[in-house]
Amino acid sequence: MSRQRSMDKIRASDFVSIGELVRLTGSRYSTLKFYTEEGMLPFEQEEENRTRRFPREKAISRINEIKDLKKQGLSIPEIKERLTSKD
Amino acid sequence: MKELSFAQNFSLIALNAQESTRLTNSKKVSLRCMAAAALLEIYLDKGLSEKGENLTFELETLNNTSMPLYQQTVLKILLSRDKSLCETLPKYLLKVLKFSSKQLKEVEDAFAFTLTRENVMEEIPALLNSDLEFVTAGIEMREYRSNAEIFTRLTESIRAEILEDGPITDEAIIMIWLLRESGCIYDLFSKEELKHVAARIYELYDNTSLGRVIFPINIHKTVEYAVKNFLKMKKEMMSTPSGSGINFVFPIIERSQSIFIDTESYFSNKEDRLRDVKQRLESNGHNITVIREGEIPLIKIDNVLYEAVPHAKQYRFPVHGVRLIKYPLSL
Repeated sequence: MSRQRSMDKIRASDFVSIGELVRLTGSRYSTLKFYTEEGMLPFEQEEENRTRRFPREKAISRINEIKDLKKQGLSIPEIKERLTSKD
Repeated sequence: MKELSFAQNFSLIALNAQESTRLTNSKKVSLRCMAAAALLEIYLDKGLSEKGENLTFELETLNNTSMPLYQQTVLKILLSRDKSLCETLPKYLLKVLKFSSKQLKEVEDAFAFTLTRENVMEEIPALLNSDLEFVTAGIEMREYRSNAEIFTRLTESIRAEILEDGPITDEAIIMIWLLRESGCIYDLFSKEELKHVAARIYELYDNTSLGRVIFPINIHKTVEYAVKNFLKMKKEMMSTPSGSGINFVFPIIERSQSIFIDTESYFSNKEDRLRDVKQRLESNGHNITVIREGEIPLIKIDNVLYEAVPHAKQYRFPVHGVRLIKYPLSL
């Protein structure tokens, strides 16, 4: 039996699942999935169970960065380009 | 973000947009599942002593002052005049089917009390109050509205956990079952996603002990469930490219599924029509977000998505307006 982690535990973890990232940031699941598949969000994938694990701090700051760039009126390809050149 | 208990989380979904003043069939389905959620929460937290397959619960446990009001209410109803209960988990859960209307009302009051006290739920004028026929009849109803931010975080994290590959928590397994039994699953997942959810249920049934116990249990009453999902079934059968279907003809059974908002005048311009409808709903206390504009706009009204389909009703003279048709939350 595996239980859901409390918010305190999630906030103290180095890595979080996509569902936990949704709980932390309030972003939509489909949005985060899209960012992940477009290579805009850093993650690690465990081979055994195919689960994506996201480095909590990095992922949250990346999501906030994307939100800011969107507010500035940049399109997704432009945001992607900006993030790639930064990396 | 406020952290709520498992049963409270489910109740935020199950009670959202349900009428608060009447015990509708749709709400009965939700309330039975909320009672089951309270029981399952106690089970997950090891509040029932386990001997083999049997779970025992003693009357004295109710003296525990830290037990939430909704758990106490459900357990008191289950105990009735007994001093203890010893049943398997499925038998405990099936007992919610026998809850009377009065007992369901007690469950509702207990949950609504704790959720409103936590400031995560409020009562607002019902969306149906904006329906032409309810306006002209002078009928006023109220409904529950869950906190929008918490509702989004909650439903999106559930969607993520279920749709994403990999291990799944016990809470998520139980949540899928509760969503299935309450019929809320159709609001959270699209038709395509539901195929994935069905495959997930089979996988969890085969590979987890909790899934094997919980998924064969049915706690919905066929009549109540059919009323709640009647229009969904009809919509499936009669779906058209514009998504209209038979809702236009038979909106009588579950009115919240198909609401007619008359516009002040005939608008040939879609922008003016949408603006007029938006103003009308906002003046009735609803939070409106336009998700998609166009001939058939998609609007979010108090956590629920609706397509606003232009429509005219034939009385002695035609009345123009829009028909609000429920849309799954999965965009």
